[in-house]
Amino acid sequence: MAPVSSARLRILFALFAVLTIVLSARVAYWQTVARPTLLEQANGQILSDQVLHARRGTIYDRNGAILAASVDLRSLYAIPARIADKATVANDLGILLGRASGPILERLTSGADWVFIQRRLPEATANAIADLHVDGLGFVEEPKRLYPNGDLASHLLGFVNDAGVGQEGVEERYDRVLRGTDGKLVAERDPADREIALGLRESVPPRNGADVTLTVDLSIQTSAERELRTAVEREHAASGSIVVLDPRNGAILASASYPTFDPSAVIAADPAALPDRVIDWAYEPGSVMKAITMAAALQDGLITPNTTYVDTGYADIGGRRLYNALGEVWGPSTMTQVLEHSANAGAVFVAKKLGEQRLYDALRSFGIGTATGVDLAGEAPGILRPLAQWYPVDLGTAAFGQGLTATPLQLASVYAAIANGGTLYRPYVVASWRGADGEHRTAPAAIRRVVSERTAATLRDMLVATVDKGIAHAAHLADYSVAGKTGTAQIASPDGHYLDGQYISTFAGFVPSHDPYMVVVVALEKPRSELYGTVSAMAVFRGVAEDTLRYALVQPDR
Amino acid sequence: MTVLALTARRRSVRVRRARRAQPPRSRSLPRHARAVTRAAAWETRSFIAASAAIAVAFVLALIYLAGSTGIASVGYQAQRLRAQRDELGRQNALLELELSRLDSPARIEAEAKRLGLVRVPYIPVVTADPVAVQR
Repeated sequence: MAPVSSARLRILFALFAVLTIVLSARVAYWQTVARPTLLEQANGQILSDQVLHARRGTIYDRNGAILAASVDLRSLYAIPARIADKATVANDLGILLGRASGPILERLTSGADWVFIQRRLPEATANAIADLHVDGLGFVEEPKRLYPNGDLASHLLGFVNDAGVGQEGVEERYDRVLRGTDGKLVAERDPADREIALGLRESVPPRNGADVTLTVDLSIQTSAERELRTAVEREHAASGSIVVLDPRNGAILASASYPTFDPSAVIAADPAALPDRVIDWAYEPGSVMKAITMAAALQDGLITPNTTYVDTGYADIGGRRLYNALGEVWGPSTMTQVLEHSANAGAVFVAKKLGEQRLYDALRSFGIGTATGVDLAGEAPGILRPLAQWYPVDLGTAAFGQGLTATPLQLASVYAAIANGGTLYRPYVVASWRGADGEHRTAPAAIRRVVSERTAATLRDMLVATVDKGIAHAAHLADYSVAGKTGTAQIASPDGHYLDGQYISTFAGFVPSHDPYMVVVVALEKPRSELYGTVSAMAVFRGVAEDTLRYALVQPDR
Repeated sequence: MTVLALTARRRSVRVRRARRAQPPRSRSLPRHARAVTRAAAWETRSFIAASAAIAVAFVLALIYLAGSTGIASVGYQAQRLRAQRDELGRQNALLELELSRLDSPARIEAEAKRLGLVRVPYIPVVTADPVAVQR
């Protein structure tokens, strides 16, 4: 064997030395300077940072029926690179999803690494797709708000957007209570994406949203919506609304607007159907306001039910002549008959006795021009101009409900005060909610006394006569005494004039009159029968009252 | 020399030879020989001790691995059970919603109508007081 020259040995040694130094430097670099990057990459591969979604609270009716609940539904995604026959898969998915296969194929061939095909699938559809066992298709669960009663009480409930934020109604007003707080889980996972039992695990548990119980009764709500829908469709009305209150505490038993929408598919809804007309539709209510005029005058002792005036068919005030509806002339009439006939001239007669200040105070006291404070999002306060802005004629028009606006809920509050003996309550819709810290109950809130019990009782009798013998006879029930008043208001155009032949028909009433169980206000916008639209409004009242009184086992008082 | 004397001498030589062939008695071994003997004994003992240590370490490692594997296995099982529990909870929530949908008064009313049932137009109510007075 030939001896290796020492020069070659030296070169070899130098080569190894340089390599060692280079490798050592490289190792030192990765261990020091680039350490955070490596750690981040490593953690990214083995640590999963997962959001633990808080469950949005369930909404129940007063009897525990579910009105809204959140469940996790499966969303279908695809990893296109793993799908061999994209056209066939797109075709199969199109059939199962009830969609054209073209857009699905476009997604599969878009070049994206990962795409959603359809989110939040119905269970049956998701199961059918899972049974295809297609490599490259998968599911991820996402929360979805579902409303098992469809469009029932949709305006009252509101809806939840894609980001999980409540919009409108109870969902918006109680979003903070319902939503809860998301949690977080950081855990080490193996290559099969399974959590490693002995690995790192840091968890902040989610705090679920509170379950909310409403004052609404699903049976009464169903009846109210059915009757309202029937009336609106029969009258070809532009819209309608109904609210049912418990006059003893202001609890909302039912509330509905029509047209309506499905809160679980808001994107497909007509925008005109979204507003809750019960709380954000302020309109000139018309003669239902005569009850306030009478209440104020009775309270001040300026009139009694038997006070008489001679009705000439009109009244002059502020340089204007205000007529009765349809030009009716009633001759000598009592105050009870003013309500029975809904005589505008009679209301002006009473208003003149009251004067501007007293009438204005009475209207304010009954809550006109002020939001009721109901626990729903988007309430309109209505308009009651300051007294300083009143024209002389406003004393007369305000007496029968023109020149001011109110929402159906405000009218219901007014009639609830008359029904319960003179106390104005704040309407409310959430009876209680149960969170991690226990149960919170809503206490009925009496705002103020607006008239004495005696005045309220006198006015109740006058309103019963209005139903028994007067203009509101269509609201009459066989076994129960009904108190109520109709209202027909013209609709103001943007240029300040009233539109010809277009009215808003309202009926406000309560039953049984001397121990009321319910107050109902019905409003129909632009009914086909114009001035006689109140007949349809009263039919709605009667239908709801008959159903509810029977359902609630209220003892007949006649 | 007689034959007997010659025979006795030969016997004596054999005895000496035989004694020489016998291993030396310990007390009579030299120092270095004793040290070699002790070293051989220590090596044996240390080999046994090391083997035992390795065996114990091996057993401990096996126990640790078995424990780790067991815990990991139980962890996976717990994860599966958690997923199963969550899925059952989800299915339960869906069933509750379905129950609510089926219980809905509107659906029952529509179903009743479909079956040809009609609303009772009037339900007579007999108040208790007059009856009691008559009795």
